[in-house]
Order: sequence, then structure tokens, then C-alpha cells
Amino acid sequence: MTSRELVVDSLEFRSPARVPRQLWTLPWAELTWPAELRAIRERFPDDIVTCPAYLREPLRTRGREYEPGLFVDEWGCRFENRQAGIIGQVKEPVVADWADVESVRVPRERLTVDTDEVDRFCERSGAFVLAKTLSRPFELVQFLRGPENLYMDLADRPAGLDRLLRKVHDFYMEEMALWAATEVDALVFADDWGGRSSLLVSPALWREMFKPLYRDYVELAHRNGKYAFMHSDGHIEAILPDLVEIGLDALNAQLFTMDVAGIGRRFAGRLTFWGEVDRQRLLPYGTPAEVAAAVRTAGEALWRGGGVIAQCEFGIGARPENVAAVFEAWDAFLPA
Amino acid sequence: MLKQMQEALIAGKKAEVESLVDQALAAGMPAGDILNQGLIPGMERLGVQFKANEVFIPEVLVAARAMNAGLAKLEPHLAKAGVKPRGIVVIGTVKGDLHDIGKNLVAMMLRGNGYKIVDLGVDVAPDKYIEAAKTHEAGAIALSALLTTTMVQMKAIVEAVEKAGLAVPVVIGGAPVTREYAEQIRAKGYAPDAASAVEEIGRLIAS
Repeated sequence: MTSRELVVDSLEFRSPARVPRQLWTLPWAELTWPAELRAIRERFPDDIVTCPAYLREPLRTRGREYEPGLFVDEWGCRFENRQAGIIGQVKEPVVADWADVESVRVPRERLTVDTDEVDRFCERSGAFVLAKTLSRPFELVQFLRGPENLYMDLADRPAGLDRLLRKVHDFYMEEMALWAATEVDALVFADDWGGRSSLLVSPALWREMFKPLYRDYVELAHRNGKYAFMHSDGHIEAILPDLVEIGLDALNAQLFTMDVAGIGRRFAGRLTFWGEVDRQRLLPYGTPAEVAAAVRTAGEALWRGGGVIAQCEFGIGARPENVAAVFEAWDAFLPA
Repeated sequence: MLKQMQEALIAGKKAEVESLVDQALAAGMPAGDILNQGLIPGMERLGVQFKANEVFIPEVLVAARAMNAGLAKLEPHLAKAGVKPRGIVVIGTVKGDLHDIGKNLVAMMLRGNGYKIVDLGVDVAPDKYIEAAKTHEAGAIALSALLTTTMVQMKAIVEAVEKAGLAVPVVIGGAPVTREYAEQIRAKGYAPDAASAVEEIGRLIAS
């Protein structure tokens, strides 16, 4: 059975032989634990991979994203950073005034994907392939507008906000349509919607302004025979029913900020949980035994002959033995 | 009128709050009463609603903006009448960390609840907190960190406060921060969210 088949069987609840896995890493892990990370990758190869972008034209960025200093991304957002291995924070908005919306430069280079190369990559991979899309309308508008400005905009609802969001969304739809015409298995979108114990905005506002955008992404994926994968950090229990309703296939969420057992009772068998194990507490401060117990809790709550991808992020502060314990525990979860 | 002011504040109606403050002042109401019976109770109610997930960050920010507009009208009158803030809080994001959304939210809610804020910004070295706390005779120091690698700076600041012999409580918060961590580094207070930070600082300053 190939990695791709394992993942598809989990997404379709067809009792795969083992729980498919995927390790995410931040550059911090590569810098801090290079040998340990290599060993984990050799021991637990990924069943899911992200396709390279294969752009014919380079992105117009400045600086380095994960290094101290200034990084300007392809939209012109300026990130300041003090620490190697992580991304910085936007300090100056690109859209300081609503008149600036029209001059926001759309990074058309991202649409110069060599789709033949993408198809060749998928063909030789053997793994389940994610498109190199990361549509994130909420986050991108935060970067363009500045977080505090945007939050106030969400209360004030100026017309410029709709124009900006539409511009971003139209671009993402174009980019996703391009990838949907390739041989990749899934399209990916992401926005961090949760705080420590609730959504960052009211569920009603989310449903009115943002749910339709995600619905568009899911429908575009499904029209083209692709799966739809989404990531969101934080406590997002309030919108899980909506994500199931729009037909999302796989969700990467911080399950351990929420009631995992309750989520299992409500949604197991209807949505695939693409990780994760508590990266704020357990991976940096827990023990391998505690990590294994957390995996068992998640498995018992969420596994219904599938519906889980053992994703784990080796991010800032995480201990390598705990990251390895995640995959050991998922391998042990299903008897061989 | 004060009730109406509270409602306008909670709804984030800046112009209406300004107008009602003007009207109250014109009617001869003492600035301290407008603040303590109108604006601050409005922010307190908002804090309760925020903790109960009835309002969210956008609503809190526009309410804080309305509060600040009302305060700007009141400040000259408060100074003339000798009305003192509830306390002075030195706040900042710890060294190595540039994240400030959480810190700004806490600062806004504290300001809206009648505290004077000395905002040191982001990437702040431990000695800056000590210096500011001494200069401004602060009642509390509030620290924010978003990263597990930078929250360790909080320990250095607590130790620096102890070493300087300052009887100023340190309150900590931020995504990776827990109450256990606060206890471990001997921080006097911990807040999981902005509304709790206002309560925690109020408790520590009053004690």
C-alpha cells in the first residue's frame, strides 16, 4: 500500500493499515536539532508531502523570511524579526488608507506554476501531494492592514475592507484553480481563527464574512476531484460544525486547546483530523509518556476506521524525543 | 446620561461617547463622576462580556477607541480636579519578542479601566522595566510573550525586580504562558486573557 493510498483510506474511513503521518518543521528545529530531526524523518517518513511551487518567475520578496531583520513578502507586507527560525511580525500596514487597496500589488508570479513539473512530481512521489497553495484571506488582510486596524475594521465594516478582501479572495481562487487542474491530491488553505479559549471574532461575523470564502475553496477543490485541507490555530470549536457543513475534508487544529473527547463525539467520522498534538505544552514541556497518553486520547476520540492523520509540528521549543513519541504512539494505536 | 454613555461605549460609538462626555461636562457633572460612574463601568461590563465570549476582539478594540476618545475629553478636567488614576502599570513585550497585539489589548483595557499605562513597547530588556517602574512609581509590571523561547525572559525580569528590592508585583501572560509557569518563576500574577489581566492587576494593586 502506498503512502497516498494510506492517506486516502484514512480520509475515506476505509481502515488503513496504519495511521498516515506527516511531520511539520519550523526552521528553528532544523537549526537546533539537525541530527535528531534527520533521525525522526528517517524513522517516520511522511505520507503527505507538499509539492514545490515550480514557479517560472521568482517571487518578488526581499530579505529572508526566517532570519532576524526585515522580510518583505510577495504582497509587500513587511515583517520584522529578531529571532532565527521563526517568522516576524508586521509593523507597518501596506493599506494604511483605503485608497491604497487599488495599489496593492497582486503577486502574479505565483500563477507562473510549471504545471507539467507539478504533474511529474505527483507521478513519481508515491505520497499524498498537497498543492503549494496557502490561501489565508484573514491573515493576509491582517498583514496588509495591520492587525489592530483590521480588528477595528471588522467592527466598523468600511467599504474598503470588502474591496480588499475581494481582491485577495479573487487571487486565491485563481491560484487554487490553477493547482486544481494539476495532479495534486489536495488544496490547502489556512487562517488562525482561535484564541486561547474562543474564536478571535464572533462566530456570527465569521459566518457572514469568511465562511463563504472557505466554502468557495472547498467547492473548487471538490469540483476538480481534490480534497480540501485547512489549518487553523487556536480554540475553534464554535466553527467546527460550519467546517463540516461546507464539506471540508481534513482539518489541522490545536485539538488540545479544545475538548477532544467532545469533538470526537460530535465530529468523528465526519471530518479527518490532520493532527495535532499539543505543541504549546506537551511537545516542549511534557514527557514521552505524556505525549503517548495524549495520542491515545486523541485516537480513541477521533478514529473511526480512519479520520486521522498523525501530523505533528516540530516547532519552537519542542523536544525531539517528544516528537518521536507522537509517531511511536500513533504506530502503536492500531495493532499491526 | 451615564447609562447612555455606557451603552455607547460598549457599542464602540466613539462620536456618541465624545458628545455625551461633552454634554455631561457642560451640565456641570464632575469629571471624576463621568469617569467612575460612566466610562469605567462600561469597560468593566465589556470585560465581563469578553470573558463570557459574548464579545470578541473587534468589539473590545472599538470600545477601547471610544473610551480613549472620552478620556481625552476628560483628562484636562481630571487633572484640574486632582483625580488620580487607579494605578500605574508598566507594560511591555519581553526581550527578543516583537509581538504586541496581546500586549496592546491589555494596555487598552487597563487604560479603559482607569489605569495610567507606561507602554515600553516590544523587545524590552529587563532593566527597562525596573527603570520605568521606579521612575513612574508603578503599581504593577505587566509582561507579555508569544514564544516559548522568549517567555523565559520573564524569569529574568522577576528576578531583577526582586534584586532591585521593588515591591511591585509582576503579572505575566501570552499564548505559551501558564499559571504553573507564573508560580515557578515567582511572578505574583497570571492572566490568560486581557479581561483577566485587568482583574488580576486590580487585585494585586489593591492588596
